[in-house]
Amino acid sequence: MTITVKKVSLQRTAADQIFLPAILRGLVTTARHFFKNTLTQGMGDVDTIRYGEPDVHVEDYYPERFRGVHRLMHRDDGSVRCVACMCCSTVCPARCIYIHAEDRGGDEEKAPKSFVIDELKCVVCGFCVEACPCDAIRMDTKRHMHPTETRADAVLGKLDLMKRGTASVAKQGGVGADYRSTDPKADPRFDHDPR
Amino acid sequence: MILTLLANLRRALGPWALLLLLPSLLTLSACAPDPDAAAQVRVQVEPGELVFHPDTPPIRVTILNEGQRPVPVQGFRISGNDWASFSIVEPLNPRMVMPGRTMSFTIAADAPTFQGTAVSSVVQSEADAAELDPEAYRDGQAVLELNVAGQSRTVPLRFEDPSWIVTTLLPGVLKVLLLVMGFIMPLASLLLWQERKQSAMMQDRVGPNMARITLGGITIRLWGLLHIATDGLKMFFKEDFIPRRAHRALYTLAPVMALMPALVVFAIVPFGDALCYEHLLDVVRQADVDQCAAGRGGTPLQVAHIDIGLLFYFAIASLATWGATLAGWASYNKWAILGALRASAQMVSYEVAIGLTIVGALLVYGTLEPHALVHAQLNTSWGILLQPVAFILFFTAAIAETKRAPFDLPEGESEILGYFVEYSGMRFGLFFLAEFIEVVFVSALVTTLFLGGWALPLDMFGASGFAAPWVAQLFFALAGVAIAATGIAVWRASKHAQFVGATMLGLGVLHICLAIYSAFTGWGTELPHLIVVLVGMLTWGIKVFALCWLQLLIRWTLPRFRYDQLMSLGWKGLLPLSLANIAITAVVVYALSAAGSIPPAPAPGEETASTANQPGAAP
Repeated sequence: MTITVKKVSLQRTAADQIFLPAILRGLVTTARHFFKNTLTQGMGDVDTIRYGEPDVHVEDYYPERFRGVHRLMHRDDGSVRCVACMCCSTVCPARCIYIHAEDRGGDEEKAPKSFVIDELKCVVCGFCVEACPCDAIRMDTKRHMHPTETRADAVLGKLDLMKRGTASVAKQGGVGADYRSTDPKADPRFDHDPR
Repeated sequence: MILTLLANLRRALGPWALLLLLPSLLTLSACAPDPDAAAQVRVQVEPGELVFHPDTPPIRVTILNEGQRPVPVQGFRISGNDWASFSIVEPLNPRMVMPGRTMSFTIAADAPTFQGTAVSSVVQSEADAAELDPEAYRDGQAVLELNVAGQSRTVPLRFEDPSWIVTTLLPGVLKVLLLVMGFIMPLASLLLWQERKQSAMMQDRVGPNMARITLGGITIRLWGLLHIATDGLKMFFKEDFIPRRAHRALYTLAPVMALMPALVVFAIVPFGDALCYEHLLDVVRQADVDQCAAGRGGTPLQVAHIDIGLLFYFAIASLATWGATLAGWASYNKWAILGALRASAQMVSYEVAIGLTIVGALLVYGTLEPHALVHAQLNTSWGILLQPVAFILFFTAAIAETKRAPFDLPEGESEILGYFVEYSGMRFGLFFLAEFIEVVFVSALVTTLFLGGWALPLDMFGASGFAAPWVAQLFFALAGVAIAATGIAVWRASKHAQFVGATMLGLGVLHICLAIYSAFTGWGTELPHLIVVLVGMLTWGIKVFALCWLQLLIRWTLPRFRYDQLMSLGWKGLLPLSLANIAITAVVVYALSAAGSIPPAPAPGEETASTANQPGAAP
């Protein structure tokens, strides 16, 4: 069996051998970037986010579904929306949510007597937010959990979590089967659903 | 490429893009012809003042008829205190100078007549006569009178014998201070920041911008320029460290040996034509400037006048090899030694290419002295037009000689140990600074050899000002529009750049106002000598800066050469090409000079550089 050798030419022209036309094209490209970035507004194509500078707010650069520190939302009367159904603590893969329930008083729903999240254990997966039926817990604070001096400082209780909470736009008891026809954007307090 | 640039500029300017219509309006106004030009008698006598030193050969005086009518010139006479010591060399008859032609004659000074007490006009009494040194020259003065078309013209003649300190040492020291402290060091330091900022702008990054000074409540950041100072301070504060078994003396000497050639070699770089001391506010002609360039009555704007200037450059640049080699060997580190070997082999290879490329320029212009080279370019054409191949080869070889990217494998940085791996702190800072000074030097040398030095292109700007009023108007209009447009773009680019943008806009508007003023009054062809000198130095500075920018652009665009690719490029690429360049240039120059298109090169004894190409000059 003979071996056939197929010669493939390099297809290099004289201009390729000199390299100068290609070098010039490359120089033109980088020069274009240079002038665009120096002379146009907002520094052209530079996409660097300048963390730490005084007028740069990193919250503006986060995607909308960014998951940060938890917060507990309120009802219209200021009490916590959470009904201690234990959905979030059950679904949490890191088992960082600890809830003790109590009587809400005047309502057939429960309320959490203590609601503790150990932020050191939290893996920021967002399952608790998906599991909650009452829009009671959210992770849309657009902040990371900040470093603490002791481990105890990172274990957040109900009042810490409610501090960042606001009244939710969800209607207590539900809207009804025709919830899609009600425009969620009509309510000005609705601030986190992008649809 | 220009279209994208214009599109970017238009996007940056926004509604101010209409500003670009201004030059067309201005050039329309400049087109009015001058009705009474035909009847004027305009005759120039060059130079305006003759200065003789003891060993000066006879000086040629040229009478140039710039008018439209023939002009009779007669009545040559030398009068004044020392009329007997000066003589007109060729006997002259009254004659007519045709329009556009010249007439010239030479004046000689008899130096021994100024020695001792030979001429008694200055000696007031016997007591003074006894104090005069018989070997010393005294000053002398006379006046050359001519009658040009019925009007009497005078040319002062002066004989002086200034000491070496006044003619050479003091101007030399001042020029060194001006060049080194005023231009090279600031530009090299700026390049340190510009390297990082320009590379960031080219790579869509931000670059260094955090170094700041807080005075009271105001924080000054200046786009990271303070990083220059912080880098220097950081290097000073680092531990001074010599490896245990390193050769202490050579280890300390190596950074000095790298920095010293980079600075010394600037002695031959001309950054302007010449500065005449006496005529700073007058309008001078090229012959006056040439006289000052010869050292009589002024000083050439070049630190040292060396007739074999470019050979001096080769000699000193070879010393730079020694710095790199010494650094690697004295470090007592095997990888440093290998890096030093790489560096020295590379530098030696590319020195060959540099030398041969310059021979091409030498063949065309006929001189190795950089000042004369620039004048030769102004008389014929810029080097980049007459020797384009040599320009590319020289630029490449010079970048390789100074070990800048893409030829920076000896220092490696990201992939291999270089020869200064054992150096830290300011010792390393000296190598770093020497590299940037060499970047500035390569730019300066390319400007001198190929880009016409301190002159504006197309002979726009001569020794007395712009070539014609419309040239001045067009130049100022276009320059003003360009500067104003860039200023507006910078102003709109960011909040912090508004001051810079506003300043540039102001400069641009000033240029446009000058153009309008020139359009109305025809100003621009007769400028004071000091302004002409400053414009020349500014042009030279802008060209050097543009070439430095180009070198940084090349560094951050091209990938690094592998060492064998580097050596084969030097020996198998640049060397044969530069030899071919020499051969072709020699053939072309011989053919053109045999056909009479190129006049023979001026003899070494010629005083003025501009006499070779004037019609009607006496042979």
